[in-house]
Amino acid sequence: MLKQKIEGIKSESLEKIKKSASERELYDIKVKYLGRNGSLTKILKNLKNLSPEKRRVAGPVANQVRRDIKEACQNKKKELAEQVDWEKEKIDVTLPGRKTETGHLHPITLVQRDIEKIFTSMGFKIADGPEIESDWYNFTALNFPQDHPARDMQDTFWVKNNKEKFVLRTHTSPVQVRFMKENKPPLKVIIPGRVFRNEATDATHEHTLHQFEALVVGDDVSVGHFKYIVQEFFTQFFSKETKIRLRPCYFPFTEPSFEFDINCTVCNGKGCPSCKGGGWLEIGGAGMVSQNVFAVAGYPKNKYQGFAWGFGLERLAMMKYKINDIRLFHGGDLRFIQQF
Amino acid sequence: MKYSYNWLKELSGTKKMPIQIADIINMRAFELEDTRKAGSDTQLEFNILPNRGHDALSHVGMAREICAVEGRKFFPRFGLGNVPRPNLGFGLKVEIKDKNLCQRYIGAVIENIKINPSPKWLQQKLIACGIKPINNIVDITNYVMLETGQPLHAFDIKKTTGNIIVRKAKRGEKIKLLDEKIYELNENNLVIADSEKPIALAGVMGGSKSSVTEKTKTIILESANFNAKNIRKTRTALGLQTESSYRFEREIDPNLAEIGAARAIELLQEYGGKNAKIAAIADTYPKKLKPWTIKLNSEYVNNLLGEKIEILRMEKILERLGMKVKQSEKLLNCEIPTRRLDLVTEEDLIEEIGRIYGYENIREFAPKMELSVPLENAKRNFEHKIRDVMTALGFSEVYNYSFYGVKEIENFRLELKNHIEVANPMNPDQQYMRWSLMPNLVKAVRINLKNFEKFSLFEIGRKFFYEKNKIPQEKTILASALVNPSAKNNLFFKLKSKLEFLLDHLGYKNTKYEILNTKYLFWHSSRTARITLHGKELGYIGEIDPAVLKKYNISCRVAAFGLKIDELLTLPRAEKIYHPISKFPTVERDISMFVGEKVLYADIEKKIRNAGGKLVLGVELFDVFEKEDVKSLALRLKIGSSAKTLTSAEIEAVMKKIISTLEKELKVKVRK
Repeated sequence: MLKQKIEGIKSESLEKIKKSASERELYDIKVKYLGRNGSLTKILKNLKNLSPEKRRVAGPVANQVRRDIKEACQNKKKELAEQVDWEKEKIDVTLPGRKTETGHLHPITLVQRDIEKIFTSMGFKIADGPEIESDWYNFTALNFPQDHPARDMQDTFWVKNNKEKFVLRTHTSPVQVRFMKENKPPLKVIIPGRVFRNEATDATHEHTLHQFEALVVGDDVSVGHFKYIVQEFFTQFFSKETKIRLRPCYFPFTEPSFEFDINCTVCNGKGCPSCKGGGWLEIGGAGMVSQNVFAVAGYPKNKYQGFAWGFGLERLAMMKYKINDIRLFHGGDLRFIQQF
Repeated sequence: MKYSYNWLKELSGTKKMPIQIADIINMRAFELEDTRKAGSDTQLEFNILPNRGHDALSHVGMAREICAVEGRKFFPRFGLGNVPRPNLGFGLKVEIKDKNLCQRYIGAVIENIKINPSPKWLQQKLIACGIKPINNIVDITNYVMLETGQPLHAFDIKKTTGNIIVRKAKRGEKIKLLDEKIYELNENNLVIADSEKPIALAGVMGGSKSSVTEKTKTIILESANFNAKNIRKTRTALGLQTESSYRFEREIDPNLAEIGAARAIELLQEYGGKNAKIAAIADTYPKKLKPWTIKLNSEYVNNLLGEKIEILRMEKILERLGMKVKQSEKLLNCEIPTRRLDLVTEEDLIEEIGRIYGYENIREFAPKMELSVPLENAKRNFEHKIRDVMTALGFSEVYNYSFYGVKEIENFRLELKNHIEVANPMNPDQQYMRWSLMPNLVKAVRINLKNFEKFSLFEIGRKFFYEKNKIPQEKTILASALVNPSAKNNLFFKLKSKLEFLLDHLGYKNTKYEILNTKYLFWHSSRTARITLHGKELGYIGEIDPAVLKKYNISCRVAAFGLKIDELLTLPRAEKIYHPISKFPTVERDISMFVGEKVLYADIEKKIRNAGGKLVLGVELFDVFEKEDVKSLALRLKIGSSAKTLTSAEIEAVMKKIISTLEKELKVKVRK
């Protein structure tokens, strides 16, 4: 009977200790069982009144239980002491992170990098050339006849220099000639860079622009190859299937020459205000490299075939990021730059 | 050029609607600029490419194009080129003084002219093309030009004396043209003259005195051919652009003069007055232009286009464009009509085949290209890396213009003579190519101060300058600016820490900062350093002189640096080599000292390293205190050996040596 009672105290007290949530509660439990008037204390005090046989049975059990409770209390106390007060630790995790100074790349840089990445993955080299170019490289080497209306196609900034005629390059195409003079086909190269046009600025016109030029020359490079590479490029650039179309055009340094359009990236060619309902966006010019240009580069005539194409980075960036004013690119305003 | 749809329809016999014509021409020949209703007609405006001015700046030319695109042959609706050769009345003599500048001159005298409004149908066509009807004579010359592409002119014979002479103007010769303005000419200009005076500026505009008026009874009709380059020079020099000069500067077939004259005479006899008739004609054409032949290899056509077009189809396309084609095996011998001055090479013909065949019909396919990893562009990669580090350091990238004005040169105390000047700027801000990136960067700072208190900018761009031989040169520069009012006196050091991080990150060790202490351009005289590495100057870092900033209404301090990227690239970069981690402990020892005003930190560090030798593993400045004329520095030294654990006696010995060196050689007072 007594042994059962002691076992009862043991299981009850240990359960309470386990559930106790604070040191105060634990203390109360300890007092309840082991205090001066604690239920186990009473039993222990009463042992001496029992018969020797009963005492021999109950005595060790009661003492063991007393030790167990004490130990459980101690362990629990330690556990409680190590426990974190989560309430006190509480913070508002929805507060914003502490500011680190962050810089932003210019959107033209971002677009240029995208383009460079796509082309270099296709095995293209990257070439550079001067921004102040001789009249010869900018026009004559590219088969622009002297005093020809073709020179009016590009409003030109001239350099005041009585020694030789220099221009602020109107396109990146002179680098084609510079590159071909140094390299033999087969070749694949891209030429990104700053170009200048002498025209008044407004929301869609700038005198300082960035262009991109691609040149592929080999034994049998054809219009079909050009169409393939252009389509491949734009599909990757816009990360969606993009169609292209070619229209006849005229550039002195290519023959045949084309203007190329891509299907509108906003409406996918269905027609919308961005493409003025036509479903196509005019992107740039291209063509098969003129044999006259190959001759200037020092290649034998009629040995090689190649294509060249160029387009404006501002226009691509405007399409990609939905920028509505070209002047923002050179405006230097951080409220613009920090959005990229 | 603006075309009348009705007119094109009459000439070509097309059954297509205006919008369909607009679309096929846009895809096969010329870019559509605009379409507009014009009464019962439709105006179609196409942008005629500069190499097609020979033939396509006319309704006949466009009609021929429409037929070719539709797969039909073009049949002219009127006789082209039968100039009547009357043998009556008085003769007309034409004298061409310079045969290079005038290949052909046809003059026809038409008498019994009666000035009237031209017939309604003719007026409507002119209106549809955007030209205002005036009277029958002027309208007919305009009509024939729009129809055939040949510019014409009519003189009142009463106001001329003697023969027609085509000659260079005399220097200083003056003429009042139809725009009622007086032009002073020189020997670069070609004029049509009578025996006394110039009566027209050849190919550009007629003279006012000899023009047709209400009273005109007899006219001389001019249908001529002038040298394209000369017309272009004259019209650019005089700033005169006319329908006539526009066509002549694109070069016109001299055989067209005959077609234009015949058509005009036909219309003048019919609508120029009841009894109007031709009285005399003169045609001076010293060197006749004949058709030429191009041998076209049909295999080359398919090779260049990347398509399999049958030779018969090629032949058809070329014939519909007016060529006479003879096939012999793979070759097509094409006789080119003289109006197609643009067709000279095989590629020119391939373009004709390609566009009429339709570029959309050419299938795209991947080129066979050898697999190779392209050589990297080292400079490009370097620039991209700089951009990444700069943005990570909190700088935002701007793109500034490559120009500035004389104001910037003065404000920034630059040398005008070093600058490359633009000959034709649109405004004064474009007059000079930037010799330094700083002026425009400071302007960007000013823009952003409106919205931000604290910010940092950078730009990678080119500066331009002359070498001794007057050949323009350019160099790529990294320019950067920092604004941070809370940094107060530490602004320079805030920026310097970023520059140090950048150079370190790029692999450049041992960069030196030399005191400038002199007035240099726009830099702050006592807060600027010259950056050098391995004895080469890389650029400058410092504050911008507040007096310069004041000119841009910038009242806060601005720190900036400029680095020559091309120079940097040529210098060796430290290779990363692993140094075994020392097994022996290092200890840290602090030294605080009072230093004199002229003592430089760079010297202190140098002395410490010299005195401590290999045992000094690191020197770091951790506190600077300045008050009035007292300056105190606190440094933390890392002392250790890679060979053993130092005893405290050994550590004390080296510290003592360092301190005594500093005290003796730099006269600092170390706090004990």
